[in-house]
Amino acid sequence: MAEIRAEMVANVFKVTAAPGDRVDAGAALCVLESMKMEIPVLTEDPGTVVSIDVAEGDVVQEGDLLAVVE
Amino acid sequence: MTVTDNRVVSAPGTAARPGDPRSPRARLSAFFDEGSLRLITAEDDSAALAGVGRISGMPAVAFANDARIQGGAMGTAGCAAIEAAYEHAVRERMPVIGLWHSGGARLAEGVESLHAVGRVFAAMTRASGLVPQISVVLGPAAGGAAYGPALTDIVVMSAGGKVFVTGPDVVRSVTGEEITAEELGGVDAHGRRSGVVHVTAPDDTSAIVRGRELALLLGHQGQMRTTEVTDRDLGDVLPESARRAYDVKPLMNGVLDTPLGEGSIELQAKWAPNIVTALGRLGGRTIGVIANNPLRLGGCLESKSAEKAARFVRMCDSFGVPLAVLVDVPGYLPGVSQEWDGVVRRGAKLLHAFAEAAVPRVTLVTRKSYGGAYIAMNSRSLGATRVFAWPTAEIAVMGPVAAVRILHRKKLAAVPEEERPALEERLAAEQEKAAGGLARAQELGVIDEVIDPKATRSSLAKAISTAPSARGAHGNIPL
Repeated sequence: MAEIRAEMVANVFKVTAAPGDRVDAGAALCVLESMKMEIPVLTEDPGTVVSIDVAEGDVVQEGDLLAVVE
Repeated sequence: MTVTDNRVVSAPGTAARPGDPRSPRARLSAFFDEGSLRLITAEDDSAALAGVGRISGMPAVAFANDARIQGGAMGTAGCAAIEAAYEHAVRERMPVIGLWHSGGARLAEGVESLHAVGRVFAAMTRASGLVPQISVVLGPAAGGAAYGPALTDIVVMSAGGKVFVTGPDVVRSVTGEEITAEELGGVDAHGRRSGVVHVTAPDDTSAIVRGRELALLLGHQGQMRTTEVTDRDLGDVLPESARRAYDVKPLMNGVLDTPLGEGSIELQAKWAPNIVTALGRLGGRTIGVIANNPLRLGGCLESKSAEKAARFVRMCDSFGVPLAVLVDVPGYLPGVSQEWDGVVRRGAKLLHAFAEAAVPRVTLVTRKSYGGAYIAMNSRSLGATRVFAWPTAEIAVMGPVAAVRILHRKKLAAVPEEERPALEERLAAEQEKAAGGLARAQELGVIDEVIDPKATRSSLAKAISTAPSARGAHGNIPL
């Protein structure tokens, strides 16, 4: 079980995966927007998305939980 | 000096490994070219052994702990063997490699062993910046043996390696924290969390190969043959949208003769990954490449990445390795944690490192370079040898929209909300024109030349090869 957390303060620009999705390593779970950049949040290992804990438009702080992948 | 080939690292020696593969003689002969090991200290119960040998033909010195004797613990005699290795390396100007497997200072010898270990540290520090020092951690390297590798230029760690000041038992008895040795000081701990280890390897054999490759990259840098530098179209690494993140590593692969992991070696890959530092070759000559990686933190600089890059710049400078700096940076990462993490102090290290560097150092701005991070990424003002830009590049204090939001705050606040985006856009266009973009940057002389992405390799190679070769007169403190 891997908890994916925000590396920086950002807006959630897009959510690109949903609970139950099977994802490969390096797949984008969501896209954050910060510093005028769209930054994809990528998985490190392949797995199944357990939860997406943010919605488009949310503001996340550094360390906030974004998603859980099993 | 006869070196067989500066780009191909032949397999390390596989000759007869007498007895236990953990014996220092076996490890040293496995490290050097087959049959090339010549011992320079005695095989005894000192738990350390030093020898000279060759790495793809290049002479080098190496020492190894003897893990079979008191877990490789370092006493007076063992430390003297390591000092002998350093004396030889400095005298002959050869790289020196440590194959580490030691529990630290010998308890039984008390303060005497602490004194001896301290003398090793002093020898390493005196050699810093004079000869390349590579550590290959094959087993536990604890206490005094942890700081040995940490004082060297590059630390490679095998999956079986562990580095810590105090082991899990001491941690448990003092703080009550339960943790395994692997979790506390293994490849993940130091490759990802602490940044202590530069290169991790799945086993001892590949750790040894990495150690040889690194010694060769720093110890046998070769001559740049510009005629052999073929151009490649590198422009297509950039996504269409200027806001989109992308991985910068394919660009580095394209700049270097051989990709990362195939002769070129990325350092501290998982630590502060928003900046990428790598040693490789261009036209056969060793260069160091530094690049912002927009895929991580949008490519922002922050405290850790500034420190990582600063150390890399100083290492390259101390060994005369020219630098190519690939810039796509939106700025310094804002935030309370950054300020309290000392982004000002640690960011200053990068300014100092570049401004001090004597080696040829060439900058290429691929997409954008904003604000304080623009200055830090080897700008003209810090003394860049040459500054190139791709036609897509933008150099500014900040992005035009962000700029007008500050410059025209009152004007924007005065209009109804629905009209604001249109006004912002119009003001941003005016701002961009006034700031002048690339043309203005060229007028000012902060950009020397706008180049076609197809001409990237040849432009970098020409700029590096025509600059006078130089080397910074300083050591490589482990920043």
